[in-house]
Amino acid sequence: MTIFRSLLLLATLTLLAQGCAFSRGTLGDDIETDAVGTIKKGVTTKTEALALLGAPDRILPLNGRDLYQYYRYDAKAGSLLLILVNFSRLSVKSDDLFVIINQTGVVEDVISSKRTENLEFRFWPFGE
Amino acid sequence: MLPWHRTIIAFLLLVIIGPSSGCNVMRITLNTPITPGDVAFIVPGQTTLPEVVERLGSPDSLNNTSTGFVSIYRFLDMKYARVNLGWVARFWSPVDPDLIFSRTGFGTDALQVFYDKNGVVVEHSFLRHLKELQFHPYPF
Repeated sequence: MTIFRSLLLLATLTLLAQGCAFSRGTLGDDIETDAVGTIKKGVTTKTEALALLGAPDRILPLNGRDLYQYYRYDAKAGSLLLILVNFSRLSVKSDDLFVIINQTGVVEDVISSKRTENLEFRFWPFGE
Repeated sequence: MLPWHRTIIAFLLLVIIGPSSGCNVMRITLNTPITPGDVAFIVPGQTTLPEVVERLGSPDSLNNTSTGFVSIYRFLDMKYARVNLGWVARFWSPVDPDLIFSRTGFGTDALQVFYDKNGVVVEHSFLRHLKELQFHPYPF
């Protein structure tokens, strides 16, 4: 019975659907987890950090220290185009990496997370 | 949100809305919306930056303040609904009339967490206090 209902739903959607669309956009280079992992607090120098990660997207002063920020944006959009109604959902997430360099030119702290890893194509705009 | 963020979102909005039919329901989310429940673990004077990063991930920006620094988590949950009542008339009308009602709710918000110079949370607050937005095409 469940299979029959699923097939019926699939047939109905096939009849109503004009099409569907997938779009994706990215901004910035991928932040390599391996490179971030090799940076050691209190050991790695500014020069070594720059050699590993490249030039940062932003440099900011932070209480007498330098803050290097690297970011990457990933956007995934899915659209379900039915005859009478279209459903679309666009999800954008960013990966951000902050490297704090102290006044002696050594890495003091590294803050990073990859939010784009769980980014999925979604059509349904309701709910979570 | 930076200006080029808006440009990218506006461009993607047009790409998606372009092939429109009678009704459109669309949602755009930027990062995962953070609720007051998600930050209930933060205790001013005790919680540190690494603990906040472990639970919420890295922030979108870090900036100086006079007493330390602030981390900012930005997020957006935009809901858009559009109905073209004129779409129905195209089956018998010689022209293709439009009577469009649409409404967009920009659910932009940000969480700001203030730290002292040692990286201990001093206070935290949301930029706005958003209620749950609904899909409402009626603009009046």
